[in-house]
This record gives sequence, C-alpha cells and structure tokens, in this order.
Amino acid sequence: MGIDRLDKRIIAFVQGDLPLKSRPFQGLATELGISEAEVVARLQAMADQGVMRRFGATLRHQKSGFAANVMVAWRVPAADCDRVGERLASFRRVSHCYHREICDGFDYNLFSMVHGRSEEEVRQLVEEMAREVRIDDYALLFSREELKKTSMRYY
Amino acid sequence: MDDIDKKILRAVQSKLPIAEKPWAALGRELGLGEEQIIARLGDLKKRGIIRRIGGNFDSSSLGWAATLCAAKVPEDKFSQFVEAVNAYPGVTHNYRRDHQYNVWFTFIAENMEQIDKSLAELSQATGVTDICSMPSLRKYKIKVDFPV
Repeated sequence: MGIDRLDKRIIAFVQGDLPLKSRPFQGLATELGISEAEVVARLQAMADQGVMRRFGATLRHQKSGFAANVMVAWRVPAADCDRVGERLASFRRVSHCYHREICDGFDYNLFSMVHGRSEEEVRQLVEEMAREVRIDDYALLFSREELKKTSMRYY
Repeated sequence: MDDIDKKILRAVQSKLPIAEKPWAALGRELGLGEEQIIARLGDLKKRGIIRRIGGNFDSSSLGWAATLCAAKVPEDKFSQFVEAVNAYPGVTHNYRRDHQYNVWFTFIAENMEQIDKSLAELSQATGVTDICSMPSLRKYKIKVDFPV
C-alpha cells in the first residue's frame, strides 16, 4: 500500500495519544484541509491493510494476571522453522513468535514470548511446548529489568 | 477498578472503533454514554493503567527495518551503555536479561543500513563490541492485548 504525505501526517498524529475529546480528529482534519471522514477512511484503509496493526489503548504494564514472562530462543533446523513457529504461535500464552536471522555469537533462530503467573509456571509451559514441538535445544531469557519501553514514532 | 472499568479496558485495547467520534461509538457498543467513556478513560490514564490511546503501526508495512539486538555488556559499562542505547528513538524496548548477552533491545529505523550504522557508533562510543543484530525473517504471531 502506498503511504502518501497525508497518511504520514495522520500516522504522526495517531501514534501519539488521542485527545479525549468528542471529536479527536477535528483539529488534525482542519490542519490538513480534509474532512474528518477522510481521516477516518484513511485510518480504516491502513487498518484493513495491516499497516496499522492496532487502534486502541496500550496499558502501562501489559498486565492481565500474567506476572511472569520469558523470551525463549529456540534452535530449530531451517526446514522445521515454519512447523515449529506456527505451532508455538498457536499457544494462547505465546504473545510473539518470530523466525530471525542468526548472528555469530547467538545462533538461535526462533524467538517466542511466553507468559504465565509465575516463573515456575512459565518454565513448565516452555517444557510442555518443547515436548510438543520436539525441540529440546532452547535458551530461557528471563527479563530482570525493564530498561526502556515506548511506542515507535514514525515520521 | 470496577466492572465498568474492566469492560472499558477490554474493549478499548483492541476494539476501539475507527470513527469520527470513537468514544461515542465505543459507548454505544458497551451501553455507556460518551461522557462516561471519556471520564473513565481520563481516570484510567491518570491512574497510570493506560499508557496511551492511539495507533500502532507495522514497521515492515511502512517499509521500515526492524531488528532484535543483544549485547554482551560488562557490569562496569552497564549504565553507560544503557543510556547510550536508549537515546536512540528507534530503540523502543530494552531489557536486562539473565544471559551472557545481558542487554536485549529492539531497533526500528528507515532502513537496515541506518541501524547497522547506529550499532557501529554505539560500539565505538561505549567500547561494547559484541552486539548481535537478528532481523526477523518471518513473523508467526504478534499479539499485544491481553485479557483484563
């Protein structure tokens, strides 16, 4: 999908924090010289095409009763990546799952984020997943400190 | 947090209507008034439960590059390194993790050359030379909202 100058301005606006006013797009539309309906139509098109992944609130602590999480790095034979990646993605407790290029110092190629109520439960979940996908070569990367967390600002 | 707050939080995380009057539209779906939605959301922000309300974009659809980086940082350089990394606006998430590679961050920029250049700068400035970059080849899942 082509992103034009107006789309970029709209992205720049909604990647911030929407004003809690009845018509949050009114000021932007006036500034851009288009109607609010056009702003909304462009946002809808970006959502339909997956350019805008989500429209809504980001919570401060991705909380939910899930106090613990771990990044799991799996070492998976290249030919098995899609099978394992898709199976891991199907677990409700997995929020993110990516196949990545390996680098010299760290040659694990599949990454998943697993959430649970405790570190203990998270470890068990990962063991179950490992049995299920038949991969026993993995590293558990528990986070010990959040050093930065923000939303990306494009344009 | 009462049941109405929870109901609003569930809906506003992923089902905020894209509309000229989004709060009124959300209210209609939940059987609440626009005023009430605005007041409750304002309060949830003030209490620090909601960080922001807006759009999240897919870097690759916009033609931008993204990667996951891991660095081996000696303790005596830790805070200096973290400060230097976090100064890049394209670094959106950064965590200390239990591993030889103890600093893990995501890096987004207009292209991969820019990221590689920044990582080289970072090594130069901090003396931390072991920084891995692992661009994604395929995304199987990304889910950013959770049940409340």
